[in-house]
Amino acid sequence: MATIPEVMSDTPTRDDDQLLPDSDPTEQPSADTPARGYSDAQKYQIFNKEFMPHIDSMYNFAFRLTTDEDDANDLVQDTYLKAFRFISSFEQGTNAKAWLFRILKNSFINDYRKKSKEPAKVDYQDVETTYNSEDAESEHTVDLRAESVSDLIGDEVATALNSLPVDFRTVIILCDIEGFTYEEMAKILDIPIGTVRSRLHRARNLLKEKLRDYASSMGYKEENEE
Amino acid sequence: MQTSLPPSASSSGKPEMKEHCNHSADCLKMIQLILDGEATDQQLVRVKANLESCRPCIEMYQLEKEVKELLTKRMEKRCCPEQLVATIKSRILSFS
Repeated sequence: MATIPEVMSDTPTRDDDQLLPDSDPTEQPSADTPARGYSDAQKYQIFNKEFMPHIDSMYNFAFRLTTDEDDANDLVQDTYLKAFRFISSFEQGTNAKAWLFRILKNSFINDYRKKSKEPAKVDYQDVETTYNSEDAESEHTVDLRAESVSDLIGDEVATALNSLPVDFRTVIILCDIEGFTYEEMAKILDIPIGTVRSRLHRARNLLKEKLRDYASSMGYKEENEE
Repeated sequence: MQTSLPPSASSSGKPEMKEHCNHSADCLKMIQLILDGEATDQQLVRVKANLESCRPCIEMYQLEKEVKELLTKRMEKRCCPEQLVATIKSRILSFS
């Protein structure tokens, strides 16, 4: 038997609406989403059953973004507290992981990027311009062979990934490490799918250049052995 | 008869193996779509055909696959510290 959630009188304060996934202040709860008024018991149930199972992925994402354990701790904690406060804007049974990742990414941009120890000086503009040019698109296939990267260890891959500008690093984490679809990534990042695709393409070219540097620094060994 | 060609190219009726690709940038984009599971059936068929007859594309495919696997399998996965899980849970309980 379906339980009809009672309407909560203590609706959450809406002081940071812009951080809310899919929040639209003008949006009225539609008939098929009786979501907005969970009871306390339901809130805890959703939190424990749908949000907490993603905590390791969230922690990894936070750590890859901030490259710092303390910052990752703070970011994950802030995100989960925010998620609980605004749980009424989450529709039970929908994509909790994408919803949580979106809050985390917004919190990172709003709170952490500014005070980051290694400020992500937005040289992103430069990178974007460079890689947007026709030349970069057409001739940019990195000269690297599968065999040369197969010996790389996790640390080297991590260092290469961390050296990418944060927007490029993010799409690779979301796609290759967390396995989100392009559509989910578009929602998490608030960008069109076409931009997801092209940013991912550029990010991978940058990553391969970094990997090539590692591979070639140990490449002399392989050549001597052959 | 001795042959150095890979088996797939030696069977009759197959196109010859191309040693040079004129549209590798486009092929690379397609290859990434496939590995990401985002290609349409039509794109899948086209790339599959290409991957049987174009050596540079085969190599690109292998590289992209290898790099993706490095990221999925070889990167260290950290677990969220238990202390943090406990803190979050107790903070949540004090909310209502």
